[in-house]
Amino acid sequence: MTVSDAVDQYTIMSGDRSKIKDLLCNRLTECGWRDEVRLLCRNILLDKTGNNSVTVEQLIAEVTPKARTLVPDAVKKELLMKIRTILAENEAENNSN
Amino acid sequence: MSETGCRHYQSYVKEHSYDTFRVIDAYFAACVNKDAREKKAIHCNCFECGSYGIQMYACLHCIYFGCRGAHITSHLRAKKHNVALELSHGTLYCYACRDYIYDARSRDYALINRKLEAKDLQKSLGWQPWIPSAKETNLLLANARRRLVRPNQTIGLRGLLNLGSTCFMNCIVQALVHTPLLSDYFMSDRHDCGSKSSHKCLVCEVSRLFQEFYAGSRSPLSLHRLLHLIWNHAKHLAGYEQQDAHEFFIATLDLLHRHCVKAKSEHESKCNSGTGGSSSTAGGGNSTSSSSGSGGGGTATHCYGQCNCIIDQIFTGMLQSDVVCQACNGVSTTFDPFWDISLDLGETTSHGGVTPKTLIDCLERYTRAEHLGSAEKIKCSACKSYQESTKQFSLRTLPSVVSFHLKRFEHSALIDRKISSFIQFPVELDMTPFMSEKKNAYGDFRFSLYAVVNHLGTIDTGHYTAYVRHQKDTWVKCDDHIITMASLKQVLDSEGYLLFYHKNVLEYE
Repeated sequence: MTVSDAVDQYTIMSGDRSKIKDLLCNRLTECGWRDEVRLLCRNILLDKTGNNSVTVEQLIAEVTPKARTLVPDAVKKELLMKIRTILAENEAENNSN
Repeated sequence: MSETGCRHYQSYVKEHSYDTFRVIDAYFAACVNKDAREKKAIHCNCFECGSYGIQMYACLHCIYFGCRGAHITSHLRAKKHNVALELSHGTLYCYACRDYIYDARSRDYALINRKLEAKDLQKSLGWQPWIPSAKETNLLLANARRRLVRPNQTIGLRGLLNLGSTCFMNCIVQALVHTPLLSDYFMSDRHDCGSKSSHKCLVCEVSRLFQEFYAGSRSPLSLHRLLHLIWNHAKHLAGYEQQDAHEFFIATLDLLHRHCVKAKSEHESKCNSGTGGSSSTAGGGNSTSSSSGSGGGGTATHCYGQCNCIIDQIFTGMLQSDVVCQACNGVSTTFDPFWDISLDLGETTSHGGVTPKTLIDCLERYTRAEHLGSAEKIKCSACKSYQESTKQFSLRTLPSVVSFHLKRFEHSALIDRKISSFIQFPVELDMTPFMSEKKNAYGDFRFSLYAVVNHLGTIDTGHYTAYVRHQKDTWVKCDDHIITMASLKQVLDSEGYLLFYHKNVLEYE
């Protein structure tokens, strides 16, 4: 099992995964990312409204790379810090046991 | 958007019922308990590549997990299975439609699972979009005219007439009217007064006031009805003398709270217990900080359980006081609800006579461990003897609106005086350092300033004015019937008597 799989398993088990996900959602809403992405989708749909055949897959494929670059660095940094702290705490617990 | 899914999903439900969806959602999308989390951690990886994936799908026809994209779609295509569940958000996907589908009943089941998960992990429920009830839909249809609020509009601003030294009331009313959560509550007409004599109900009067503020008129309002009600219910405030704005604020909260409780009990007895029940879910104003963060402190939850009226939801926090016995180091902890935090401004006696200069200084002083000397021995609950001890306050839970009362008026046996020293206060305030449980990694305790009440003059005579945040980055000064624009600098340079901070991120229940 790779390290990333182990991290996935541990965070799912402890419930941290779900909390981190909530935190991320909150931060993205707060900083306006959610609205920006919504606007992005809207504009794509308006552009292609003529042939009326934009599938959700096409939309995802087009929006995803742009949406990724829109995530502020501060949010990424905070999430990374949070994940580090959680893993460090887990390690400390394991060592003391 | 159809609320009944697609025809493929309908025929799927007809054949397989909702059971599979409910179980898969409860175990792999929402993870309602520890067992579910373990199952998910062990089994929920892609059958194709073995990874835990960024976004996983579960087939609802057979046992199969796959990553978004080729892995899950190739399974659905090969097996001719249509319906899959996306697991990070719990959205249904139909392969035949190549689209996500929305089904009202499935969503109801999913919401139950989300609530169970939030309860199990002691976290706040994620944001849910507002879905208007049948009554609200009809109201929206019946009132087709919408009002667009532009950035520089004055709607929501009204001057208040001075009825003879009533500036103490005017400034508190301005601060309350500009409390976002409170205006959400009253503007959405949530107060349902069971009382037959609603003209005696203070909450109804405040509700009416909000309507007046937002009615569009710009002439000043007279608060004589509010004043009369308060005189009737809080006798100590009756009369034409100038009153203390802080005392008025607390008395008003107390009255509003009592009338909310009364209205609710009368309403319930009228409805014969039942139907009314939990009408306060969803929407903007439904947040309490009680559900989150309090990691099972018996006393804390007990006190909150008593009342969830709008006043308690917005203004009540919990103060923790730890008394440590110097003899046996036993700690006895008590919890007390609070509506505001009163901060001393005078010289400290113990730490070399420092005077606080900022709000943070005041808060540090407030939460510092204080030695109770030999004159104040307390009976220790652990070693059952009277001992010297230290006492320390911290904040167990914070309300959505934190108000600070700077104790500028000093009344002692020797002298009554006003402390006019400048106390610097920030626009953005992070309360994390003053919390009881600092290690709570997910707590968010950031607050923004939205109202400042100032007292001008001396201890005997003076005048109250208020600065309130009208819209984002727009401040106004309310001086009785005169409303003027103000800059943030003016606000921050003012003396400050009562400071009102609003929580930035609200938790949902």
